[in-house]
Amino acid sequence: MKAFQYVTAQSVDSARDWLGPRASYLAGGNDLLARMKEYLADPDLLVNVKSIPGLADIEPGDGHWTLGAQVTIARIEQDPQIRKLFPALHEAAAEVGSLQIRNVATLGGNLAQHSRCWYYRHRDVVCLKKKGPTCFARLGENKFHSLFTGNPCISTVVSNLSIALAALGAVVLVQQGKQTVRWSIADLYAKAWDNPIAHHSLAHGDLILKVEIPVEPGRSAYGQISEKGAFDWALVSCAAAAVFDDGRVKQARIVLGAVAPVPYQVEAANDLLKGKKIDEPLAARAADRLLAGAEPLEHNGYKIPMARALIQRTLLKLMG
Amino acid sequence: MMDSKSSGNDLLSLTRRNFLKTLGTTAVGTAATQVESVAAELQKLNAETIVGPAPIPIVLQVNGQAISIEVEPRVTLLDALRNHVHLTGAKEVCDRGTCGACTVLLDGQPIYACMMLALEAQGHAITTVEGLAHEGQLNPVQQAFVECDAMMCGYCTPGFLLSITALLKRRPHPDADEVKHACAGNLCRCGTHPRIIQAALKASGVSVTSQTEVIRYADLA
Repeated sequence: MKAFQYVTAQSVDSARDWLGPRASYLAGGNDLLARMKEYLADPDLLVNVKSIPGLADIEPGDGHWTLGAQVTIARIEQDPQIRKLFPALHEAAAEVGSLQIRNVATLGGNLAQHSRCWYYRHRDVVCLKKKGPTCFARLGENKFHSLFTGNPCISTVVSNLSIALAALGAVVLVQQGKQTVRWSIADLYAKAWDNPIAHHSLAHGDLILKVEIPVEPGRSAYGQISEKGAFDWALVSCAAAAVFDDGRVKQARIVLGAVAPVPYQVEAANDLLKGKKIDEPLAARAADRLLAGAEPLEHNGYKIPMARALIQRTLLKLMG
Repeated sequence: MMDSKSSGNDLLSLTRRNFLKTLGTTAVGTAATQVESVAAELQKLNAETIVGPAPIPIVLQVNGQAISIEVEPRVTLLDALRNHVHLTGAKEVCDRGTCGACTVLLDGQPIYACMMLALEAQGHAITTVEGLAHEGQLNPVQQAFVECDAMMCGYCTPGFLLSITALLKRRPHPDADEVKHACAGNLCRCGTHPRIIQAALKASGVSVTSQTEVIRYADLA
């Protein structure tokens, strides 16, 4: 990687002040340093945001829990209360990389990481996501790519935590200029749906501060299918959360990962579950609604039956 | 910190002598000045002043010793350990946090040394494979690796030793699945995993033989 300067910010304001056009925020560094080693990123200055007071706290609450963006994924995975209240988040955190990665990687970094598309990650390939003219995956090797997208780039969102947090209805607090904005997970990735260059909606200089997770009196679950049994990216992931009233679904959210550039949600699938008891036929119909309109490419068609099975499995897991 | 008077083992003292010789400009002082120097370097780093891109002085606490080196901010902990501290136990293989050969412990927790900047490892206790043996005695995991013949080329071995040592510290009696989970971030291309899992169980006090099945092959079919 190229030489750079380094500074530790002690407040959100000073982090923003340090962040010139040729600077990058540094959290756990797993994604950024890997891109720098591949010469995909070559910042002149790294602004360490890990020491900003308050951003590494887990704050329990009756209405919602607040997790600082600098909380490590290992801490999320190992917190017994998180495991009890937000099982989907616990299960998604447990699937992130390996223990060595989870001990260092942060919540904010997981949400803001870049595409894993092998064309994007190749230093010599100038693909659409790197402002080139073509998405090479469309007619090339696309087994890990999207079934749904609103733009010509077919790379997928790879953050496990984003899938679980979307199902849990989490709100992301983002420092944008002088103000702190509150985004849903859908807001956090909306730009990646339309814009082939975007990995998320964060502009240069925007900083994820915290994530708020509402405490709902329901249940949640996350699952993923990977080529390897551990330490692997999801081929397809699914998270679901539901609040029940007398055994019937009052409200529900189902989210699919690794099939679109965003955590993929279909309102009609959520609506289908309302007022009903979840059983196998209902879960299958919900899967139909989620997967309607999927556009498989040459090598990723297997994701459709895989996602169908995973949606059913995840919904049935909600029933205990 | 190692005490030169109490080191009765030839191998260890030789290693220590070579180790100190190779440090060159490194200052190895008393415990008190070490703590002060670590605090001083950390304070400088936290004072919101820009450092680099030229080399800057940093202090790493490796296997109980404070070691002063000068590195550029871009130098990873792995690079610093191997090429500046001359401890080559942590191996460089993928250099992308995907293989586990560079695993070291940071405050007792396994991390990839290739994906952490050396200057960010300041103020933390770093343990490398060189720090596992004590007064010439292999630690129980190392001893079990020898007895179970749990290695072939040996490149992944230091990383596995540290992952398993950390596991046994937080969970002294794991089962085979917990060992696999703890070692998921360490790859062995020679395929010695069954012996490695046996060695981990043996180190935890379970009686195993070379016939002990720790991977249920029938379930994989």
